[in-house]
Amino acid sequence: MDAQRLKDNFAQVAQHGDAVALFFYSDLFLRNPRLRDMFPVGMSTQRDRLLSALGRIVSQVDDLHNLVPFVQQLGRDHRKFGVEALHYPEVGASLVTTLRYFSGSSWTEELARDWTDAYNLVSKVMLDAAQQDSSVNPSWWNAQIVAHERRRFDLAVFRVLPDRPFAYQPGQSASLEVPARMRMWRSYSMANAPRPDNTVDFHVQLIDGGPVSPVLVRSLRVGDWIKLSAPVGTMTFDERSGRDVLLIGGSTGLAPLKAILDQIGALPSPPRVHLFFGARYVDGLYDLDDLQKRAAGAPWLTVIPAVSDHDPGAVAEHGTLPDVIGRFGMWQNHDAYVCGSPGMTDATVDRLLNLGLSHDRIRIDKYADA
Amino acid sequence: MTSPEIHAQRITPAELQAVNFQRAPLGRRGFDEDQVRAFLGQVEQELVRVLNEKADLENEVGRLRERIAGAGPDAAAIQPEDAHIQAVRILSNAQQTADQYVADAQRYSREIAEEARRGRDEILADARSRATLVLEEAHRQASYAAEQIAPSSEPMSGDERRELEREIAYLRTFSDVYRTHLRSYLEALLRNVEEWETSERESLSGTRAALPRMD
Ligand SMILES: Cc1cc2nc3c(=O)[nH]c(=O)nc-3n(C[C@H](O)[C@H](O)[C@H](O)COP(=O)(O)OP(=O)(O)OC[C@H]3O[C@@H](n4cnc5c(N)ncnc54)[C@H](O)[C@@H]3O)c2cc1C
Ligand code: HEM
Repeated sequence: MDAQRLKDNFAQVAQHGDAVALFFYSDLFLRNPRLRDMFPVGMSTQRDRLLSALGRIVSQVDDLHNLVPFVQQLGRDHRKFGVEALHYPEVGASLVTTLRYFSGSSWTEELARDWTDAYNLVSKVMLDAAQQDSSVNPSWWNAQIVAHERRRFDLAVFRVLPDRPFAYQPGQSASLEVPARMRMWRSYSMANAPRPDNTVDFHVQLIDGGPVSPVLVRSLRVGDWIKLSAPVGTMTFDERSGRDVLLIGGSTGLAPLKAILDQIGALPSPPRVHLFFGARYVDGLYDLDDLQKRAAGAPWLTVIPAVSDHDPGAVAEHGTLPDVIGRFGMWQNHDAYVCGSPGMTDATVDRLLNLGLSHDRIRIDKYADA
Repeated sequence: MTSPEIHAQRITPAELQAVNFQRAPLGRRGFDEDQVRAFLGQVEQELVRVLNEKADLENEVGRLRERIAGAGPDAAAIQPEDAHIQAVRILSNAQQTADQYVADAQRYSREIAEEARRGRDEILADARSRATLVLEEAHRQASYAAEQIAPSSEPMSGDERRELEREIAYLRTFSDVYRTHLRSYLEALLRNVEEWETSERESLSGTRAALPRMD
């Protein structure tokens, strides 16, 4: 199998832009109409996500051993879409048809064979991982909303009760699907460590014009059901490091940090923790009351709120999170956990590196598409 | 920074996207970068279109060749493969149209939300600065009223009493002025809300009539 030839071929085909993904999906749905239901209605934003990833991954088949963990995760992720083993050959056939169509005269029988072999290899890794996962986890959990609070016109905190035990590590996230926005899975971080009663909290900020977040903030009601995928994510707490801890959350970036706080609070001798919680306006500090209550009862915890867009007076520090962190103390000997929008996390990590913290002591969770 | 490196034989859409122009040195004249970008975008789209047309034609040629090569009695009939490609094209167009509607609706709702957010911020800022003004005005008038308290002629009343009277006059005026301002401000606000409600009712009844229900 000649992986370089696959890559060259894919690069050549990709020149045709959006038309390639359009052709691929149309071919797939014409041959297998029942697959259409598995995808969202409007597909313009995601359309080439699947196809370009598919081409990229399959053509890196020569590097498969490095890709295995990623491809396995992808296989597990696909369970929530309702993908089954029998769908793989169908997608493979449309992939090859599409590549052939756009390759024109440069298409050869060897290319066809190599693509098919590479696709089958990748599929096998995905399917094996999915199969293994299915002996431990359901494809998704059904969860009922048991509490929902609007903390600001564009911010809500809600609590769900999954229909079976939902195990995860503090700092992780899961994808949610709401009935009003079928097939549109979005990631949200669990905002508490696992509880004996199995309930889970989420914090959601409304993104203007986004399809899912406005529904979660404004329309969700107690009693509604949502779907919850298996937990993922690597911004988990390193209990063994023994170093003091710096938690930095912008807006709902606070959510996974609260789960980590729960975990630290349950330790026999917690490390010192500084939690920086930032927002643009004072009323964006939607969870400050609870944080201050926690700090009052926990000598190891210091909470420092920050507001960037106007002077908050005595309530909070004035400035962006990177600025405020720079103003406080020395962080070289800390483990840092940073979570929020891409702009906030990038700027904060830059600042931490400038302040002398090394990369391997910073864990990040970015609220943006992968 | 790379200079626009353009191969003589082939430019790909990706290369157009990645091209970087050196900034003109200060004091020298250069092109407007945004304009150049916009133009490149157009060229890129055009290139993609041409490439796609080429792919279509190549496929057409390939199929025609095959048909001639195997020219049997029914060579002129539509081959199943052609029909499939045609169906793919029709479905692609339909999907593209649907995507356009969804994308438009999302953009529209984002714009409305952003506008509403700006409106809200303005109203809040306005309310804050009005509140400050009202307070300042009340303070000014009340201070004036307090100063007008003439020193009492009673020998028995000490400084303390005078101070107290002054304080009372201040507070009374302050609360009078404050109340008046607050009342007129709230009334104005109430009028705004009523207008808003009316216009919302009107626009909603308009859309309902014009659009099929979505839910
Ligand atoms: C691992 C992970 C965990 C997440 N956890 C949370 C969480 O706990 N709480 C939460 O509110 N959101 C979280 N998000 C973001 C969330 O998944 C959605 O993207 C967001 O709620 C918007 O959904 P939407 O469908 O309305 O718009 P989308 O179509 O998802 O997004 C529209 C655009 O807004 C961008 N965007 C998304 N979130 C932000 C943000 N916070 N700041 C700036 N731009 C943003 C997206 O990248 C996209 O370009 C998380 C994202 C990831 C990847
Ligand atoms: C080698 C095989 C495959 C690879 C590499 C692959 C890759 C991907 C990737 C990278 C994504 C985007 C992930 C995300 O948004 O979270 C995705 C999404 C998806 N895939 Fe696959 N996939 C494969 C096979 C399949 C098959 C066989 C199906 C069955 C029909 C399928 C259905 C989906 C669906 C429904 C989505 C969600 C799309 C969306 O939300 O727009 N995939 N896939």
